[in-house]
Amino acid sequence: MQELAARHRLRWWEALPWVAGLACFFLFPTYLAFGTQVLVTILFALSLDLVLGYAGIVTLGHAAFFGAGAYTVGMLATHLGWTEPLSGLLAAALVAGLIGLLSGWVLLRTHGLTLLMLTLCTMALLEQAANMFSGWTGGFDGMPGLSFKPILGLFEFDVLFFRSQYLYALAVLFACFVVVRALVYSPFGRSLTGIRENVLRMHAVGAPVRARQVIAYAISAALAGVAGAVFVHATGFVNLAVLGLERAAGVLIILILGGHGRLYGAFVGAILYMVLEHTLSKAYPTAWQLGLGLGLMLVALYARNGVFGMADALRRRWSAR
Amino acid sequence: MSAGAAASARPQGGALLETRALCRNFGALQVANNVDFRLEAGARHALIGPNGAGKTTFINLLTGVLAPSSGQVLLDGEDVTRLAQARRVKRGIARTFQINQLFRGLSVLENVCIAVAERMGAGGGMLRPAGRRTEVVEEAARLLDTLRLSADAGSRVAELPYGRQRLVEIAIALGLSPRVLLLDEPAAGIPSAESHILLDAIAGLPREIAVLIIEHDMDLVFRFAQRITVMVGGSVFAEGTPAEIAANREVRAVYLGTALDA
Repeated sequence: MQELAARHRLRWWEALPWVAGLACFFLFPTYLAFGTQVLVTILFALSLDLVLGYAGIVTLGHAAFFGAGAYTVGMLATHLGWTEPLSGLLAAALVAGLIGLLSGWVLLRTHGLTLLMLTLCTMALLEQAANMFSGWTGGFDGMPGLSFKPILGLFEFDVLFFRSQYLYALAVLFACFVVVRALVYSPFGRSLTGIRENVLRMHAVGAPVRARQVIAYAISAALAGVAGAVFVHATGFVNLAVLGLERAAGVLIILILGGHGRLYGAFVGAILYMVLEHTLSKAYPTAWQLGLGLGLMLVALYARNGVFGMADALRRRWSAR
Repeated sequence: MSAGAAASARPQGGALLETRALCRNFGALQVANNVDFRLEAGARHALIGPNGAGKTTFINLLTGVLAPSSGQVLLDGEDVTRLAQARRVKRGIARTFQINQLFRGLSVLENVCIAVAERMGAGGGMLRPAGRRTEVVEEAARLLDTLRLSADAGSRVAELPYGRQRLVEIAIALGLSPRVLLLDEPAAGIPSAESHILLDAIAGLPREIAVLIIEHDMDLVFRFAQRITVMVGGSVFAEGTPAEIAANREVRAVYLGTALDA
């Protein structure tokens, strides 16, 4: 009983990611552009963890929401001259959340492979729409060269060294993390876990299962939209890649790599994946994906729930001795 | 509200849970055939019958997992035939499953907490951590205590022996504060050495809950039930007190036979 009552409490090591995040700002001043990408990816992976890891909704189309957020910010800036970043984040969250709500309401009647295909189709539809309505979206070329107002009117986006972008991404990630963390330890979050663990039983205790799933899906979509918005704020461009299968599959791999359903899997997975990608592509520019593929096979074969799952297994073996 | 008050508040002869001419077929297969059934408030009622008689289907019809092809389900005289499962749970119909349906990766306490939170309407709350909802956690802990599961409260369900998992099934159902409790073969899969814990648990259920039990263990049925309904081929074959059922030659012929002769 104590264990349950204390589970949501903060533990000392939960400060580590944020300390490390700040430390990186000072230790690697020339890598902040890369660091910003990592932070955006962590946020994106975290949003996926809420639906995939907690609610057990398997989706291959989560980049739809990342892209929706990215295009929202890009189109507001291009067509309305709306370049204030924080309200842009809010708009991105609303648009992506709404798309998540509507598509989730329709798609979450299905599950398994059907759901997988339908999420993929939704993303493909959005991608095609972004391609076709080039008057609005810039089509294939997207919207390059966007610039945004200083954050809170104080911090200019730093095109050369990404200093303010990095801290901005870190702050947004922190805020979103606080929300997700509260959510997964709330009764709502536990009921999502219940749905993942045994949907039959969840129906039998009188839970409105589909409503819960749709709400979770919409919240996750909104968070993915925020990640997309930060991406555009930081880099100053949008193109079709924000909506692509590569991004959707990449974030899924990241979550599998780090471990799903445990909040910090998104952090470890994103850092591992992106650092691997970064160093391997430097060392073997033509064949770097081979190394990534081999690494993934090892994880799939020997670490069923990612890096964290492996750590758990080791700890259990250790304490059993 | 006590069982007595509930009974007197209803019109004479009204049952707590009732079915009228309930039918359900899967294609040409008639799995429920004109079932008229009454469960009184505070009842201790058993539903028996050979395998494939449609007992679990009947539970699924009562709880709303399946919709009937025709006929009615009434709770407190009110037609609930079209109500979804979740709504019927809110009105007091809870069940356990023939094969455990638990949250295997979660702790025993948490399994019960999820049910209690749903009943209290706190299941969708997003702000306060689940662990700080003391009213939920305390009630779940109390339930575990009455079922003598306290020692396992922190264990993951998957790590428990099957017999104790069966008790968690009952704890979850009780966490919904049911007025009607449907137990689908609660003793199935329990080694006989552990079955007394389950028997005690069932015997100790609050009197005001109407209990319908599906069971193959005739020992348990005749010890527990005050009324028995025999179902064969989707129809009610016989109904009566345990003595009447035991003395019914036709029932013995189709079903009980050897079980009682022994």
